[in-house]
Amino acid sequence: MNISDIVQVLDGTLVAGGNSSRTVGAVVANDLMSDVLLNDADDILLLTSLASDQAIRTANIIGAMCVVVHNAKPLPQTMCQVADTLGIPLVSSPLSKYESCVRVHGFLSKE
Amino acid sequence: MEYKPTILTGGEVRSDDQIIAAHNKSARRVSGPALPGAEDSPLVIMELLQRLRVKDVMRSREIISVERTDSMRFAQNLMKRNKISGVPVLEGKRLFGIVSVNDIISALEGGWIHDTCQQHMATNLIVLEEDMPLAFAIKYFQNYTFGRFPVLNKDRDLVGIVSQRDVMRVLMKELTDELTRLEGATQQDKGIEPSKSEGALPYYSMRQFVVVHNDLSSAGKAANEIKKMLSDSGVDKKFIRRVAVAAYELEINICIHSVGGTLTFILDTEKATIVAKDNGPGIEDVEWACRDGTSTANDWIRSMGFGAGMGLSNSKRVADTFDIKSKIPTGTTVMCTFNLSGQNNVKQDV
Repeated sequence: MNISDIVQVLDGTLVAGGNSSRTVGAVVANDLMSDVLLNDADDILLLTSLASDQAIRTANIIGAMCVVVHNAKPLPQTMCQVADTLGIPLVSSPLSKYESCVRVHGFLSKE
Repeated sequence: MEYKPTILTGGEVRSDDQIIAAHNKSARRVSGPALPGAEDSPLVIMELLQRLRVKDVMRSREIISVERTDSMRFAQNLMKRNKISGVPVLEGKRLFGIVSVNDIISALEGGWIHDTCQQHMATNLIVLEEDMPLAFAIKYFQNYTFGRFPVLNKDRDLVGIVSQRDVMRVLMKELTDELTRLEGATQQDKGIEPSKSEGALPYYSMRQFVVVHNDLSSAGKAANEIKKMLSDSGVDKKFIRRVAVAAYELEINICIHSVGGTLTFILDTEKATIVAKDNGPGIEDVEWACRDGTSTANDWIRSMGFGAGMGLSNSKRVADTFDIKSKIPTGTTVMCTFNLSGQNNVKQDV
């Protein structure tokens, strides 16, 4: 599952950070960044409702491959700038986090 | 007659851990690394006093000594010839006592200059151990009036003598080297690449970041910068992640729980060190604060994705050593180190 797949499956839009060829190694759905930091997997797809710079900085610390913000939340301009600076693809999705989890699971199960 | 001298390491025979614990307990400041003699020293000197050991400064070649059966006159001539003010009394490498100039003067006045050394040598000895940090030696010179101390190894054999002059000589040289390295790090900050091969670790580099209270828009910048520094150094990815997680958690902690402070990152060829120091208000119950899930964060902080109460425990989990000191109202200092040797055998993957 790459960035293009994520955008398509989650009805999302790639808003910052640019595209990349990395594929999903693990999925984390969480809004508490300390919990996110506990994960040890590589190439994490971070599904969150946190629309702030910290979601991107946290993603960078753990080497996440993409961040998806849900419920079509407006994304602060600084969040997009941080994503561009750190090169982390940032996707906005109208879905709820729960719905995203279901769809991503369905897609990965077929891979 | 078998002499069994009382060998004192700061009052009594104790293990290294006991000695360190005792010194830490008596340190004046509660916050900051509890290193004797370094409580008020700049970070570079603190690091130096911690890194250097007594064995790094002691003189170990050609220890001038006498045997127990040698006469006081022999000791006197030996001291005069070598221009020294005391000689250890040895049997093999075993230290039995010390004959000082004062003992010689007493012998001359008392008329026992032809007696053996074992009859008049001092046997209540204050000694240093070769693996003690240099800070301990400096503390000993402050606490006692002696100009030099015998140095023992783990087998309690005499392996050297250390004087104040030895300490100063080595300290000055190391400080000069550190300044040279820091100048190199400063040049790097100005965009001048240090002289090193691509991807190689710098010999020494240090960066300090100011963390502002409640400035969540900037929080995490320092940790990301530290991660970049490590990535540029070609260090193992798992290692980078451990350091970055601790740096991030500690930076966020300063931002949301304190009035502000600094995050300092030190990298050398052996380890990475993070020192997070804030200016208050301090933690009332450090043990409680280090438990998973305990937090004093308010709803606003939680709405920003923090305050889960995992910051300190996460940092402790990923670090090879974790030390925290806190005092109300002066503040909290957390120090985490990460050993680069065998970096692939990480303490725990994150």
